[in-house]
Formats: sequence, C-alpha cells, structure tokens
Amino acid sequence: MADMSKIGKEYPAVIWEVERGKIREMATAIGDSNLIFRDKAAAVKEGYKDTPITPTYLTVPAMGGGNMLTLVGDLGINFAMVLHGEEEYEFLGDIYPGDVITGKCRIVNIEEKTTKKGSKMDLVTTEVLYKNQRGEDVARARTVIVERK
Amino acid sequence: MAQDLYFEDVQVGQAMPSLTKGPVAKLQLVMYAGASGDFNPLHTDDDFAKAVGMPGVIAHGMLIMGFVGQAITDWIPRKNLKKLGVRFAGMTFPGETITVTGAVTDKRKENGSNLITCEVTAVDQNGGVKVSGSFVAALPSRG
Repeated sequence: MADMSKIGKEYPAVIWEVERGKIREMATAIGDSNLIFRDKAAAVKEGYKDTPITPTYLTVPAMGGGNMLTLVGDLGINFAMVLHGEEEYEFLGDIYPGDVITGKCRIVNIEEKTTKKGSKMDLVTTEVLYKNQRGEDVARARTVIVERK
Repeated sequence: MAQDLYFEDVQVGQAMPSLTKGPVAKLQLVMYAGASGDFNPLHTDDDFAKAVGMPGVIAHGMLIMGFVGQAITDWIPRKNLKKLGVRFAGMTFPGETITVTGAVTDKRKENGSNLITCEVTAVDQNGGVKVSGSFVAALPSRG
C-alpha cells in the first residue's frame, strides 16, 4: 500500500521551456498532420501567436520534466507496474514556444482498490497547476495512476 | 484544419466527425516514448512487458488520448478547447485500429462564454473501449 501520509504532499516545481520542435515531435508521434502544430506561419494564419501545444502536450513536462518519476520514486511505486488510470487537462491560458511553464505536483488522493477478480491496486491522484513566466495560470493537469500489485 | 464552428450551429446530440487511426505500430510507440519522455519499457520492450505479465508491449494510454485530441482539433479549432478529460478503460496492443467518436451532450452560456460539452470514446476494431471521456469547448457566436 502506498504511503497514505503523503496525501497533500507538494513536490518542488518543475520548470519547463516549451519548444516548437517538441510540439511538432508530439504531433508526428500521434500522426496528427494539422499544420498549426508544425508550422508557425500556418498557425499565425489560423489566429495563433505561434504553434499552439497539442491537447496532450502537457504529458511532456510531467514525464520528461521528471514530476512523475519523482512522485513514483517518493511513493516507492514500482514504475513497471504502473498503468495510467485517468488524465484531465484544463486550459486556462495560451501556451506557446518560448514560454517557460512551472508546475508543482501535489498528491490529492491515495486509495487502495480491489478488482472484481480480487487483485489489489493503489490509485494515486495528482494535480499540477502550470504557471507561465508572467505568473499567469495557464493549465491544470489532473492524473490518476494505478499501481498493479 | 478545423474550420470555425459557431455555437448556433451545434446542437445537443450532434455527432463530431469520427477519426480512425492505426493500425498502431511498435515503431509508433518508440516515437511516442521519445516525444513524450515516457520511457517505461512496458511500451517498447516485449521481453520486459512479458516479464510483468503482459502478452507484449502495450501502447501508452496518452497516445490514445492523443488520437482523441486530434479528433477534437480536426473538428474544433485548438484555441477553443478548454478542458479534456479521459479515463483509460482498456489496453491497446500493436496492430489495433482505433476509432474516435463523440457527440455533443450539452450547450450553455456561462459567464459570457458559449460552451459545449461532448462525450468522446476511442474503441478498437472489435468495439472494445480504450478511452472514454469528455471535453468542453468555448465557441464563437454568430451574434
């Protein structure tokens, strides 16, 4: 069982610079050919300041930025047994290449569940509020990870 | 690219255009691992996946959520998307074809915004649900 006393714990902020190339790489991996995620001129023509982030780009600061691994390590979770339960993004403001976003990961809940087949799993819910370099709230991410036992 | 969609032109019950993706390839999982920074070998190393009780590598759930995101932004401009939330209901294996569908479940005016809520589902070629969730978009008005 994950350590319930960690509910409410907040981790040090992850600082992440948003890069156009990383947005394009994400679109390419998904197979999304929408030019707004690939080409600044195309994005500007559609009314954006620059290439906007793809709807699921915020997984990059969470994974690549280390928030998730820090959490998994701190909770003593076996990363190999982790499945993703839920993910939710709220977009509160624009995020563009060159922006530096800062997100603090906070544990909002930990619970143990038993499946119908009788196997146990831990569910850990986290929230990250991302602020940009001007201190504006730009996004909120809510994640539920599941550790299979 | 998504054309502007106006609040007045969207009705509750209306379907969003469906999007079919795949078949999901192992190479795509490697690309997604690099793009996202999620290097859990469960998604890229068959031997490792088998050692933890899987038949082989499974797709990142976030890749399937990415397909959902693409379906939405093919229909509604990216700037209008305000919230997207999903639950991962089933694992996706290489070779599977994923289809994203959705429908408008609510439309309302709130604090000067014209909001729609849509349910979205991603299923495999046999109808098995991989991802289900919903999104909220703020649409321009013709008014």
